[in-house]
Amino acid sequence: MTQFDGKGSQVTVGVPAGRLKPKRVRRNLDLTLWEKLYVFEIIRGMYVTTKHFALNMLGFVLPPRGKKRSVFTVYYPDEKVVLPPAYRGRPVLVMRPDGTERCVACGLCETACPGHAISIVGAERENGERYPLSYVLDMTRCVYCGFCEEVCPKEAIVMSSEYQGLAETDRSRMRYSKEQLLRSEESVKGRIEYIRRIYSKCNY
Amino acid sequence: MVADLIESVAKIVFIFSINLGFFAPILGWVERKQSAVMQDRIGANRANIGKFTIIGLFHPIADAVKVLTKEDFVPAGANKFFHTLAPFICLVPAIATFSVIPFGGQYELFGHHVNLVIADLDVGILFVFALTSLATFGVVLAGWSSRSNWSLLGGLRASAQMLSYEVAMGLAIIGIIMVFGTLKLSEIGAMQENFLHWGIFIQPLGFILFFTCAVAENKRVPFDVPEAESELVAGYFTEYSGLKFVMFWMSEFLEIVTISGILTTLFLGAWHIPFVTDAMLLSFFQFAGPNGATILAMLVNIATFFAKVIFFIWLQMTIRWTLPRFRYDQVMRLCWKMILPLSLINISITGLVLLLWIK
Repeated sequence: MTQFDGKGSQVTVGVPAGRLKPKRVRRNLDLTLWEKLYVFEIIRGMYVTTKHFALNMLGFVLPPRGKKRSVFTVYYPDEKVVLPPAYRGRPVLVMRPDGTERCVACGLCETACPGHAISIVGAERENGERYPLSYVLDMTRCVYCGFCEEVCPKEAIVMSSEYQGLAETDRSRMRYSKEQLLRSEESVKGRIEYIRRIYSKCNY
Repeated sequence: MVADLIESVAKIVFIFSINLGFFAPILGWVERKQSAVMQDRIGANRANIGKFTIIGLFHPIADAVKVLTKEDFVPAGANKFFHTLAPFICLVPAIATFSVIPFGGQYELFGHHVNLVIADLDVGILFVFALTSLATFGVVLAGWSSRSNWSLLGGLRASAQMLSYEVAMGLAIIGIIMVFGTLKLSEIGAMQENFLHWGIFIQPLGFILFFTCAVAENKRVPFDVPEAESELVAGYFTEYSGLKFVMFWMSEFLEIVTISGILTTLFLGAWHIPFVTDAMLLSFFQFAGPNGATILAMLVNIATFFAKVIFFIWLQMTIRWTLPRFRYDQVMRLCWKMILPLSLINISITGLVLLLWIK
C-alpha cells in the first residue's frame, strides 16, 4: 500500500506486499496419527495453559513491575485508570481563573449538536461581553461525539475525561446546569492541548 | 481394644474433616481462582470481612451462606421421593470411597500397630469400583425424577457414558494389579517404596488410560456431556437448588479428591518420597526418640500423600480449563474404540512380560 506524504514523494505504509502472501492452510480434516493419539497434543495444550499459570503466579508473588504486571485487570473502585486526553468523557465548560465562563453564548455548539442536547440562553454583561445566562446540557441526549468542542471558537466546551457518575437513576438529574458543568482550566489542560494539536491539522 | 477404637475414630475424623472441611469447600474457590490465573484474570476476590479479602478465601463461606438460605425447589410433577434421594446416592459413595485409600504406611506406635487407612480391605480397589458405580444411579435417578427434558437428556448421557467408562476403567487398572499381585491398596502402596517401582514407570500406558477414564467417570470437562452447560443448562441437576444442588457439587469435588487419592496410591508411589525409604526416614528423625521418630515419619508420609493428591487435583483442574468438550459420539468412540482395545493390549503385554521375563 502506497501513500503520498506532504512533500510529494511516495512512502510505503503497512505490511510489505511480499509478506501479504496467504499462508498455506492445511485443509484436510483427517488428523495425523500423532494428533489421533490425543495425549501429546493435550500435553502441548496444557503446556500453554500451565505456562500462563506459572507466570501469573510468579507475577502475583513478585512486586508489580509497572507495565510488566502479569494481569491487567483493574480493580475498578479501588484503582482507577488514568485516561489519555483523547478520551471523550463528559463535556464540560471551561472556567476562567476569575470564575467567569469562557463561553460567549454564540450558539454554535447548540447548532452542531446532533442530539439537540445543548440549549443556551445568552445575555450580556455591563462591559458588553456576552455570556450564557443558562447553559443546559441534557446528558440523556448526548452521544459524546465531540462536535460541540470542535465547533467552539473559544475552547469553552471540551470533552473531559470524566467517566464516573454519567448514569443516573433519574432523568431530571441528567440535565446539567451551567454551575454543574464549570471546570477550572487546570483540570482540562491536557484536553485543550490535545484539541489544539489535532484540530490544527484539519483544514476546513 | 480401646487403642483400636481411638485409632479408628481418629482416622475417620481426620479423613472426614480433611475431605468435607477442607477439600470440598475450598475446591470451588480453587477452580474459580485457578481458571482465572490460567486465563490472565484475577478471579474471585470481592468477598471480604472489613478490609480483609485473603485472596478471595471468604467466597466459600459466602457461597455456603447463600446456599443454605436458598429455597429448596422441587418442580411440579417431579417424583419427590427420588428427586430427594438422588443427591444422597451421589454424595454418599463420594464420601465413602476414601475409606479404603491409605494415606500413610503402617507404624508401631507405643506398642500399638497403626495402619493409616480407615478400612484396609483385601478387595480395596474393587470396593472403589463398586461405590463409583453406585454414583451412576444417583445421576440417572436425578435426571429421571426431575421431569425436565434437560435433566432427562443429561441422565441418559450420563448413564451411557459412566457405564462405558467403568468397563474401560476396570480393564485399565488390571495391568497394575497383575504387576503388584494384590487388590489391597495399602499393600500396593507399600510396594512402591523404591522410586523405580512406582506404578507410573511400570505401567505408563495404564496410567494414562486410567486417568482418562477417571476424569470421564467424574463427568468433568472434556467429558462433561451429561452436564454440558451450553447444551443442557446443567444436565441432570438442572432442577436442583439449595442444599441438594450443593450435594451434587460436593460429590463432584470429593470425587476429584478420591480419584487423585487412587491415582496417587496406584501410580505415584502413595505416601513415599522419591529415593527415601521408610527406614531412612525413621533414622533421619532418630533424635526424637523411637515414638517421636515414628510420629514425625508418619506426619511426613501423610503430608507427602496429600501433596501428591493436591498435585493431581491441580492437574485435573488444568485439564478442565485447557480442553474443550468432546462431542457425544467422540466420547463413546474414545471409550470403546481406543481405550478399551488399548487397555486389552496393555493387559496382554503385561501378562507376556510377567510370564517370560519376570518368572
